[in-house]
Amino acid sequence: MRLLIVEDDAPLASGLRRMLEAEGYAVDVTARGEEAVLAASQERFDLVILDIGLPQMDGFEVLRRLRAAEKPMPVLVLTARDAVDDRVRGLDLGADDYMAKPFAMPELTARVRALLRRSQAHGDPRIVHGPLAIDTVARRAFLRGEPLELAAREWAVLEVLLAKVEKIVSKEAIIQAVAGWGDDLSPNAIEVYISRLRSKLEPAGIKIRTVRGFGYMLEEFKEP
Amino acid sequence: MAARSLRAHLLRMLLPPIAALLGLGAVIAYYPSIEPATEAYDQSLVDIGIALGSHIRASGGGFRLELPPAVEQVLRADRYDSVYYRVGGPDGRPIAGDLDLPAPPEPGPGLHYYDTKYKDRTVRAVSMPAQCGAGTCSVVVAETTVKRTRMAREILVSNVLPEVLIALATVAIVWFGVKRGLAPLARLSEEIKERSPLDLHALDAGRAPEETRPLIAALNGLLEELAAANRNQQRFLANAAHQLRTPLAGLQAHTELALSQPMPDACRTQVEQVHEATIRTARLANQLLALARAEPGGHTEAPSRVDLKAMVEGIADEWVHRALQRDLDLGFDLAPAGMRGDEFLLREALANLLHNAIEYSPRGARITVRTGTRDGKPYLEVEDEGPGIPATERERVLDRFYRVPGTPGTGSGLGLAIVREIAAGHGARIAIGDGAVAAVASRGCRVALTFPHGSRPDEDVDG
Repeated sequence: MRLLIVEDDAPLASGLRRMLEAEGYAVDVTARGEEAVLAASQERFDLVILDIGLPQMDGFEVLRRLRAAEKPMPVLVLTARDAVDDRVRGLDLGADDYMAKPFAMPELTARVRALLRRSQAHGDPRIVHGPLAIDTVARRAFLRGEPLELAAREWAVLEVLLAKVEKIVSKEAIIQAVAGWGDDLSPNAIEVYISRLRSKLEPAGIKIRTVRGFGYMLEEFKEP
Repeated sequence: MAARSLRAHLLRMLLPPIAALLGLGAVIAYYPSIEPATEAYDQSLVDIGIALGSHIRASGGGFRLELPPAVEQVLRADRYDSVYYRVGGPDGRPIAGDLDLPAPPEPGPGLHYYDTKYKDRTVRAVSMPAQCGAGTCSVVVAETTVKRTRMAREILVSNVLPEVLIALATVAIVWFGVKRGLAPLARLSEEIKERSPLDLHALDAGRAPEETRPLIAALNGLLEELAAANRNQQRFLANAAHQLRTPLAGLQAHTELALSQPMPDACRTQVEQVHEATIRTARLANQLLALARAEPGGHTEAPSRVDLKAMVEGIADEWVHRALQRDLDLGFDLAPAGMRGDEFLLREALANLLHNAIEYSPRGARITVRTGTRDGKPYLEVEDEGPGIPATERERVLDRFYRVPGTPGTGSGLGLAIVREIAAGHGARIAIGDGAVAAVASRGCRVALTFPHGSRPDEDVDG
């Protein structure tokens, strides 16, 4: 995995580089937006960590140009700005995630992992989550190598959760993703599917956390 | 000092000259109207005198009045006044009537009108000559002044009453005229009063009267200067934020990096302390910046429509993870709560409430964020199961840098002060109470922000 860090503060850039290298990534660093755009056009990076507050060409412009060139890699935006508006969140410009400075390194590396996992999974019908492996095209699931029987609705709920590991998915979002045309699914019904999924997955150490009054979150799998 | 009332001032200026003019008018109108009436009454006295004169008869070298009692009764008859008369012979000696009726002050031939006293009463008298033989007798007729006084009073009243009414009308016109004239100003002050302190738009002069335009222009000038000062402060804050946070991020990255590597224990303890201090400094920097932003003028975003429920949903993921790191159960109870406000600041207020809840809750505790409306007023509420805030401290914890004595941890005492500033900027009320699970060891804490009014769904989005 090759990462590009675009950060003009030398101590922060070197700290990021060393931390990410320790995680096993190949890391390139540039302090200038123009160079970042040039580098991305010539070489392939799996992820870009982009500071917004760059001299001359700022992070917004770099992001705009990367997206205009249809570069598919995920971009994690770093910002020291106070006003965390939607522009900084990158929602308008196509950033995949953002972090406000200063931040804890473990949080950054976790976000980098999640972004890479999501982008690698893109277009790949197989999703692996610890001991769970599913084939979204063949619609078959395996737990510890054994075939896992899932009802259609359970399958749909699991797919939604797997697409957003470590992210909260609201009940409404699950209902929207699961309910077909004309279906009328109640939040209670979702609870039933979740509890069935739990009884099937928890013995293998896969945890679905309830976020009270909100929804559910498939936790990152940790080796016991 | 009591403010000077424009009305009182106008009335003070207007009433004395009006009163003087009306008084003068009354006097000027009085004499012309009383004169003809007085003349008519005097003429009736003269008529009586002429009638009396015609009854003087010669009698044995002298003269006497030959007046039948019925005629005398008619002559003396008057509804209000007593009528007196005296007839004098050519030698001036009284010969008939009220013999002691006073003579005119300047006797002589011809008609004399005069005022005098008779039987202790003021009387109006007329003296006139009367033919008696070859000589001239005199006839004096007098009457008391009851009907004259009465008439004078009636004339006065009929003159003065309309003038009093005019004066009252003037007072009323001034009173309502000032109110009406100042109505655009009253509307303007309502508009200013209802404004959020964050809203520094120029005032619309609208149909305000010409005279108030300079005031409105001056106010708008001041608002523009304030807005400019705000923009400067905002630029400064943005720069300060950047200049502070980036090196802190670098420092934090390197201490974390150092801690991830093997090193002697003594050294590790020191690096750990540097790391903790870095995190504390970073939080303090963030809080000071947030406080500056929350103060009036720190943030010039125009208020826009905010749904508190959607806002909480937007930050749920981030805060659930932070709560999980502390083994806390962060849950939600969200109903739609639309209002107008500054979403960035509201998010900052919520972040400070959540930070406190996470900081002070024991492991395994529940934290709940609620939104919704009560009596049409949107609210945002965070409840935890921590130690709570004693009732006696609830006012003071909102002060800057104040921490409840004995509080563990390294908080700066700024979190709730930031919440207070943001609440003030939105006209919201802060209520601090016990949590629902008030137990012996931990009473829990519930902080609720209640905003003044919700927004209707049809309200515009960017105002």
